[in-house]
Amino acid sequence: MRSDPAQNNRGLAQRLAEAEATIKALLSGQIDAMVDAESETPVLLFQAQHALRQSEEQYRQIVEATSDGIVKLDLGGGIEFVNPRFGEMLGWPPDGLLGTNLLDLLRPAPSVTLRDALLGRPSAANDEIEATLCHQDGREVAVNLTAVVLADGAGAPIGTLVVVRDVTQQKKLQAQLMVSDRMASMGTLAAGVAHEINNPLAAVIANLDYVASNVEGVVTGHGVMEIPSAAWLAEEVKGPLDDARLAADRVRHIVKDLKIFSRSPDAEVHGPSDVRAVMESALRMAWNEIRHRARVVKVYGQTPLVDANEARLGQVFLNLLVNAAQALPEGQAERNEIRVSTGLEAGRVVIEVSDTGMGIAPEIIGRVFEAFFTTKAVGSGTGLGLAICQRIVTEMGGQLTVTSQLAQGTCFRVALPVATREDAEVAAAPFAEVSASRRGKILVVDDEEIVLRAVKRSLAREHDVEVVLAGARALALCASGRKFDLILCDLMMPVMTGMDLYRELSKLVPQQAGRMIFLTGGAFTPDGRTFLSEPPKENIEKPFDSANLRAIVRRYLG
Amino acid sequence: MRERSTSLPRCVLRLYVAGNSPNSVRAIANATAICAGNPDAGYRLEIVDLLKFPKRALADGVIVTPTLVKLRPLPVQRIVGNLSDTAEVLLALGDQ
Repeated sequence: MRSDPAQNNRGLAQRLAEAEATIKALLSGQIDAMVDAESETPVLLFQAQHALRQSEEQYRQIVEATSDGIVKLDLGGGIEFVNPRFGEMLGWPPDGLLGTNLLDLLRPAPSVTLRDALLGRPSAANDEIEATLCHQDGREVAVNLTAVVLADGAGAPIGTLVVVRDVTQQKKLQAQLMVSDRMASMGTLAAGVAHEINNPLAAVIANLDYVASNVEGVVTGHGVMEIPSAAWLAEEVKGPLDDARLAADRVRHIVKDLKIFSRSPDAEVHGPSDVRAVMESALRMAWNEIRHRARVVKVYGQTPLVDANEARLGQVFLNLLVNAAQALPEGQAERNEIRVSTGLEAGRVVIEVSDTGMGIAPEIIGRVFEAFFTTKAVGSGTGLGLAICQRIVTEMGGQLTVTSQLAQGTCFRVALPVATREDAEVAAAPFAEVSASRRGKILVVDDEEIVLRAVKRSLAREHDVEVVLAGARALALCASGRKFDLILCDLMMPVMTGMDLYRELSKLVPQQAGRMIFLTGGAFTPDGRTFLSEPPKENIEKPFDSANLRAIVRRYLG
Repeated sequence: MRERSTSLPRCVLRLYVAGNSPNSVRAIANATAICAGNPDAGYRLEIVDLLKFPKRALADGVIVTPTLVKLRPLPVQRIVGNLSDTAEVLLALGDQ
């Protein structure tokens, strides 16, 4: 069979034209790839490679511009690559870290879990891990690490890629949030506390006024009797004074509760704490929120001490109590109940706060501990309270959990480990009255005249008491050669503080400095705390009652 | 009655490309625009990645990308390059 020469020619001409077009396209850079006809595999041409390089460049720019540190490790943890951000986090130029082992930069030395994750061991979890890295200047940098195993084409591990996020700022913010939440709680309760103080204070003032007018009557002769009988004195003077004293004691308790909550959070003092006492304080603080809404039922079982920071624990209890109160409608206190119980379960101290409110719907109960989750109206809750409570409890090694039934109520449960140290501070027992030892010379230094007069009245029958309103005046007296058996001195005073006076006296008349006892109001500055504890110095907390004050002075002089 | 574009295509095209390389991306955009700009021509366009299907390319007589192959109506035509010259492409396709 013969082919058609004309058709053959047309086909040939077309192939030629195509070849020409291909060469033209090649020369003008319009060809990306070709097929190797022999091996039947595609081959990318220069432009395509260039495009790939561009895409790699884009990835490089992303790696360099990201706010996270990125580190590539070999199988032993040696650093093969870091992006500039990681170097910056630790104060090194990026090249300065190549060859260093990442495990050596961790403080403290890494746990097994962290080590496995960083070295890409199969057992390792893929979660973010909290860790601390060492900065070039020695300080510590808090980070979250996520490690991904890198594998070759056959799936064999060749190292790990670690993404490092600097969480120093985040940690600071969390700490600030905790403080601001406490401030918010305090703000909510300030009105209630003022109310709690005002009631007994009204009783103190009314009773003192009553006594003052009675006594004035006797003194000026306009009263019922000119020479008061014992019965009249008991009825008209002693009775009201006793009531005033009782009321003043109530104020003292409330101020003591406030001190628990306002204790500086940076002190972070952990110690054996009685959860019942902390709960009682929290109940008194929250009383104004609770009393219109519910009866309080307390069931305190056997409750060993826990190792906790009382201010933090108080913040948790206060939050739970206020939440419980707010779950109940106002004005039906007799029909609703807030139940507070403590006890020991499976070796842990368990505290429960439950209410008979409307309960939490099952679909949202899983979210109550999320930050910023709130069901309260805008402005009445930050949505942070429970999230922060959970964090505090977790940091104490405990758990905060919730159970709830719609229309039945909700129960929050705190489980805490029992304190291992049983060196609980012994509550300051009132000093037994001891008979007067000897008449001493006492100097009292305070910037409050009212305090000076009260201390002088309490001590003047048994001792020679001199009072001064300023540290400088006390210093001048001692410097002039006057000798005192005891110097009672306020710690916090304007101009010259008790601490300043102590330091000055130590230089001028050291034996007098050694005779100082400090009066403290509780609101310590960090300096004040250090001063009193190193080396330990005697101090008396305000408010003090006169019997205790006299006992302390006698003990000191005796 | 006028033929609707949903009826059988009168012109079947196959564009061979190499992944997302720059000329291939450009060729896809140009070919799509040409088809969309001439709805009455009844184009059907198929895009084939040479990196995945090198044998199909060889079977269609294609050895470089981008290449647009006009399969129907006959005769088969191959247009090499990124198809940026629309007039030339339309001419090669038989000025449909």
